Amino acid sequence: MIERKERKPYWRHTKWQVLASIIPFVALVVILPIYSEQLNANRFLGFPLGYFLAAHGFFVVALITVASYVNRQNAIDHWHGAHEDM
Amino acid sequence: MAIGARARMVNPRLGTYFSIFAALYAALFLLVLIFEQLSLDDQLLRLAIFAGPIFIYGAMGLSVTTNETLCFFAAGRRVPAAYTGLLLAVSSLGATMIVAGTGLFFFAGFDAIVLLMGTLTGFVIMAIALAPFYRKFGAFTVPSYLGRRFESRVLRVATAAVAAVPMLLVLSAELRMGSSVAQRLVGGSQGSLICLLALTIAISTAAGGKRSFTWAGVAQSIALFLALLTVATTVSVIVTSLPIPQLANGPMVRELVRNEVNEGLPLVRVWPLAFELPPEGFSALTKPYTQPFGAIGPLAFIIGTFAIATGISAAPWLLPRVAASPGVYEARKSLGWATVFSGLALLTVSSVAVFMRDFTLDAVRAERLGSLPQWLSQLAAGHFVNFDQAAAQLGFEGLKFDRDGILFSLPVAVGLPSAFLYLLLAGALAAALVTASATTVSLATVLGEDAVQGMSWEPPTASNRVWVVRGFIGLTALSGAALAIAAPTDPLRLVLWALSITGASLFPVIVLSIWWKRLTAGGAIAGVLSGFIAAALAILTSELGMISTPSPIAGILGLPVSLGLAVTLSLMRPEANRHGLSIVRDMRIPGGEIIYDREMQRLQLRKHART
Repeated sequence: MIERKERKPYWRHTKWQVLASIIPFVALVVILPIYSEQLNANRFLGFPLGYFLAAHGFFVVALITVASYVNRQNAIDHWHGAHEDM
Repeated sequence: MAIGARARMVNPRLGTYFSIFAALYAALFLLVLIFEQLSLDDQLLRLAIFAGPIFIYGAMGLSVTTNETLCFFAAGRRVPAAYTGLLLAVSSLGATMIVAGTGLFFFAGFDAIVLLMGTLTGFVIMAIALAPFYRKFGAFTVPSYLGRRFESRVLRVATAAVAAVPMLLVLSAELRMGSSVAQRLVGGSQGSLICLLALTIAISTAAGGKRSFTWAGVAQSIALFLALLTVATTVSVIVTSLPIPQLANGPMVRELVRNEVNEGLPLVRVWPLAFELPPEGFSALTKPYTQPFGAIGPLAFIIGTFAIATGISAAPWLLPRVAASPGVYEARKSLGWATVFSGLALLTVSSVAVFMRDFTLDAVRAERLGSLPQWLSQLAAGHFVNFDQAAAQLGFEGLKFDRDGILFSLPVAVGLPSAFLYLLLAGALAAALVTASATTVSLATVLGEDAVQGMSWEPPTASNRVWVVRGFIGLTALSGAALAIAAPTDPLRLVLWALSITGASLFPVIVLSIWWKRLTAGGAIAGVLSGFIAAALAILTSELGMISTPSPIAGILGLPVSLGLAVTLSLMRPEANRHGLSIVRDMRIPGGEIIYDREMQRLQLRKHART
């Protein structure tokens, strides 16, 4: 069980982790479509690059974002003693 | 290593059971394939692949009957992350995003990526900002969560009323899409097929509520992925010699880039806020595949992505799903799986669209050089494509494809045996059943728990609670069917409306309820109601042509209204709610007891003390 004095540092740490995960991802949602037309001039595996990044690339980025968040947040939980009792 | 208490709770034979189902499903497909080659009656084969799986789903739902509250409302809180993720992914997509989504990719090309980006962003936001906290709270419905979090019965009932609207829209969309898929498979009138599907949903979910839905839903999701991946991979191997359809269509896309414009497809530019979806029924191609913003403008693309994302992350038929996972860590992991499965499904349907675009390009070229290919007449016979047989020159504008038939026309165009088409139809039907069941169970729970019992915190006895919701499952399935029959509307539009209404009304309040301690009950009520009214008005005025914003994304205009009102009202009239604050503090910590269970125990103790 988490100690009382650990609650504030735990939540501060969690907030930073959430911001670090969500802000680059949301920025990508806005930036990727805007530049896709220019990127389409290049090719990757036969795909126009803009299309490839917006479809396949975005999927991989989403996966990495969730996986890294789950891994880091779990570490934060254990560090502050906020993890679930197993 | 010691096995944790939560790990012990999970049924260790789940993998075996679902492998048996997958083997049965594959065997049914192989049997149909063999008997088709032996020239058995086609109608009989269609009926076998339609009724066989439906019988299994019904039997699965009935065999896990339960009267226990925790099992009925949260599947015993022991659904592993991968299964929760699979259900979340398929419930969010449904047959609409799979079948009409393939059509959208086929017609709009690059612009259809808005579906993929919206869905994935929705799951990422849900994973990071909502799901772990909702799981720690552990409520069975979103209105129950908001009601208990702010200790406001009015908020609970208001949220129940607002959440019911998008759920009913999605249910009606899925029933309609499911019935049109079933019509392609076995024929019959759409009305009777809608009733049959509603009956299937009621039978496969009423006995065990969320537990039944989990068992039947996972089987249905497996059926969808088996069908989609089998057909797409087979076509990919035939056309590109590589068994990865999602990546192997690159050379085809390159071909499209080089030749579509030369063969007469013009480069189109639309205004930044345009959101032109291909209508239901037959239409011709209008823009090259990879050209961005020829159907959906750049601004509408970004707004649309956020409309879908906010809708999915706060959806009252998806979010309570995570309450059925064994713990907070598992809930986070389940969203990772949801991202994998939804991305895989959408990349596969995009590859199907590319294959079909390539076939269409070949047909246009073949026509210019001589005669139309044979597969085009087969598609016309199957009502997948429409063209004037007597026309001298068809070109792209002469070939009119059915938006909801693109997915199913691929195996016909490649010349695969009909069994592949039937498998794909059965898979799409399963997807419709998953989403329709998810909305039916969630809506019935909201009605039974938060609308009927909304003004009292103390729940009735366990068996009463279960039986009330069982009754509402029947009623909800019936209302969904009635709506789908009485007001037939394009399912894709209905789903997009539902998602933008959810995003505008529930998303800001749910996010603030976790991340902003100063949000008050009054602010939350104002946020939910104003967001809903603004979204509904925006959609209505857009449909009537009074505002120029297209209706699929107009609803999300309610989000800033909801957010602004919730924050302003909370700042203007702050409330001191010590119990609410302690709930938020506990909700933010993964360890410790489940808040909803603790609150229920507290209520029971108080009741005992009174008596």
